[in-house]
Amino acid sequence: MTDKKPGPGGFTGDPDAALEVTKTGGCCDGGAVSSPCCGTSAQASAEKSCCGSTAKTEAVAAGQSCCG
Amino acid sequence: MTTGEAPAGLLAGIDPERMAATVDALAAPAFAGRRAGSSGGEAARAWLSEQLAGLGAHVSADPFAVRAVPEIYAVPEAIWHDGARPRRLMFGRQMLPHLASADLPSARRGDLTIAGAGDPAGRWLLVPSEMSLFEAYGHAHGAAGLLIGRGTDPDGWHYTMLAGSDPGPLPMLTLDPATHAAMTAGSGRLAASAPIRRTDVTAANLHAHWHPGTGILLTAHYDGVGDHPGLRQPAASDNASGVAVVLEAARVLAAALPGGAGLAVALLDAEELGALGSAHHAARLREAAAAPLVINVDGAGRLEGAAAVEAGGPAHALLARLDQAGRHTGLPLKPGPAASDNRRYTAAGLAAVGIGAGMGGYHSPADTPDRVEPGTLAAVCRLVVATAWLAATNTTTLPSLIGD
Repeated sequence: MTDKKPGPGGFTGDPDAALEVTKTGGCCDGGAVSSPCCGTSAQASAEKSCCGSTAKTEAVAAGQSCCG
Repeated sequence: MTTGEAPAGLLAGIDPERMAATVDALAAPAFAGRRAGSSGGEAARAWLSEQLAGLGAHVSADPFAVRAVPEIYAVPEAIWHDGARPRRLMFGRQMLPHLASADLPSARRGDLTIAGAGDPAGRWLLVPSEMSLFEAYGHAHGAAGLLIGRGTDPDGWHYTMLAGSDPGPLPMLTLDPATHAAMTAGSGRLAASAPIRRTDVTAANLHAHWHPGTGILLTAHYDGVGDHPGLRQPAASDNASGVAVVLEAARVLAAALPGGAGLAVALLDAEELGALGSAHHAARLREAAAAPLVINVDGAGRLEGAAAVEAGGPAHALLARLDQAGRHTGLPLKPGPAASDNRRYTAAGLAAVGIGAGMGGYHSPADTPDRVEPGTLAAVCRLVVATAWLAATNTTTLPSLIGD
């Protein structure tokens, strides 16, 4: 295959930035291994749930996976 | 097929209509929303087993126990009388039993009051938005139950959550913000039930391989939050869409890799209960000292701009392949939370990436097949196939010619 076409796909920056997602507060401050969820701890606390519904809605709308 | 021709041929073989049909099938009433341990979940697993066997795979199920799975077992009743007239609250839109609610099979009547503002005995307490649940319990001795305001999705449905709080001592209902505010302003009395129970169940992961040994492991969870009585929750985007992508990717790859070498699939159960299926599987992999590269798909329903990628473990090389595949297929990628089964594999020390490409609905009746875009299914499947092919050929020392 001689595929050399540059396209709009792939990461725009360093792919390894995907390794830092859970270290930057993406989901319950990254501590949500046993009960994965979206949003910060503060949002979750305000919603009285593991996952803040606002954070969840925004995450889903932004194309991010979200569970638990 | 030469190595150089493989990707183009593979990608051309991806069939969006086949994936859409898989989503339709998994979202059908016969599978009842696929809650772990339910008859619908079991039926879905049997159907998926047939699909994998049809791809020539060796298929096995790996059961595991799950404790205290919550289930709303009857349509709850909630009638608010504001002093002028009774209003029946709509199940799923205006009210839903809270995950941490105690079981209340029959309606309990009581006056409304604000938590912390008076004698709670025999009353339904409206919990102010700024009050924590822990604090509300402190004001609730002898109360009929708690009423908690919670946001709904864009279609006005409450989210159904299975993972999270253990049951508390009181019945609890979540109310949509408008109803909670109206009750707070209008007072009156409420007659409400909260029929929710917890059952110990057996869940099961499905495993498929085409050849001994595992280099690439494609995963997606097939369970959903389950239907409520009289209220379907098809779980199409979350995660029939991911399962459809993995099945289609496996079909294409198994035919292209010699004997399906190095390819394995795990369709996981009980993700909605806290990623329990992947936790179980990751432990098994550790016991076996196996270290596949894991690609997990959770949500391939509605791509908006770029697919979110979260990676963990020693995934540098896998991320590089994913990036190459994204460039090759034209799918933009961005670092973002993919809070799903991939985290369990990461926690076990494996290289794992989670891919999320949007959901048209989430944990509600709005998660229907018509909101799953075939174009998104195709884009994510192309990404997965190209990534897996790059990684698999690399592990067998074949050169990769994809990339720029």
